[in-house]
Amino acid sequence: MDDRLKETLSAMLDDQADELSVRRVLSHTEQQQVRSQWQRWHQLRELLHEGQGRVEPIDVSHRVRQSLAGTGLTVDLPQPEPEPREPTNWHWPAVAMVMAGLLVGFGMGTGWDIQQAESPVLAREARLGPAETAGATSAEVMPEIALQGLDEQQWEHLSRYLLEHAQHNSVAAGRGAVGYARLASVSTPAY
Amino acid sequence: MTLTEKQLAGPPADHRVSPGNPSMTAEPSKRVEELPDSQTDLQLVRKVRHGDRAAFDLLVIKYQSRVASIISRYVYDSQEVMDLAQETFVKAYRAIDRFRGDSAFYTWLYRIAVNTAKNYLEARGRRPQGSADAADAENFDDGTRLRDTASPERELQRDQLQQELSRAIAALPEELRSAFLLREYDGLSYEDIARILECPIGTVRSRIFRARDAVDRQLGPILGAG
Repeated sequence: MDDRLKETLSAMLDDQADELSVRRVLSHTEQQQVRSQWQRWHQLRELLHEGQGRVEPIDVSHRVRQSLAGTGLTVDLPQPEPEPREPTNWHWPAVAMVMAGLLVGFGMGTGWDIQQAESPVLAREARLGPAETAGATSAEVMPEIALQGLDEQQWEHLSRYLLEHAQHNSVAAGRGAVGYARLASVSTPAY
Repeated sequence: MTLTEKQLAGPPADHRVSPGNPSMTAEPSKRVEELPDSQTDLQLVRKVRHGDRAAFDLLVIKYQSRVASIISRYVYDSQEVMDLAQETFVKAYRAIDRFRGDSAFYTWLYRIAVNTAKNYLEARGRRPQGSADAADAENFDDGTRLRDTASPERELQRDQLQQELSRAIAALPEELRSAFLLREYDGLSYEDIARILECPIGTVRSRIFRARDAVDRQLGPILGAG
């Protein structure tokens, strides 16, 4: 191992090595040298932290290596429980998703229209269809929205906005959504 | 300001860093290895998932002592401890895809070790002799039980190692020693050490490595360097 690689390994020991450095260490041809250097530095670290230092050196790494390679002795241990999973909070979102799914399914089954419940405007659109709604005059729509307490200036803006939107949709029926956004940002800066 | 008493233990009085450094802490902070999220661990785990056994080797070497210590809370026989430690790592390897990084790799490994030891005892109709919760994973004093049962020869060897280590650290040039001890005892990042010592991060990295290498050369033969 050259010094550069050892320096990288030292940085790994300190948790200060980047992904590329780790890859370089792992791709080194003499992995035995890497392992023994890594092990000695860990032993040194344990010695430095005397309170946590061990007297008897423990080394099971070669046994694990052999076991995983299928060449080592298999330890005759009782069948353990499944390994603990990481602590996760997956079950609550999952329960929420299932409940939402059931709710939607139930709603559809009983003919309950969620849009209808949420918005009178959307409900109207659902009843008449988008093309008819787009063609409607502002006067037809306004009474519903006026309930929200628009002042005169807002009324004016909204009237112009809806009118322009309807005109645009009649010209470019199939691409109304894109034109809608542009129209809103260019011609009605107050919005 | 000087380093802590623990940091100074062993080496003589020149074991000091430059005065007037406000960032030197009075108490040694959390041990580096006990930081909950190790980037190196995650990088190695990613490699293991792609079938890199060498990456797993490094994880085993890093944590084998601590895993053995956890198990020794339940099982006193050293051969059983070794067997269970081996089994823990084999299980961890096989379940590595289930580790998603939500917790530290060591915490996850700790739970596997505890479960492996408990299952082993239960299967043999023995009640667990000790206890350990996952919450202890970050900062338990490992090695206690084995140290208690250590022979006088082992104790002597440990003392000799400590003395040798102190001598090796004392013999380091000042700039190497400062960077090394700030890292090992204070657990500071390279960036923080660079700020304290007023040098580039690359220099810190190099100094720590050179210090580690110098100490290793002194203690390597005792530790069984190949």
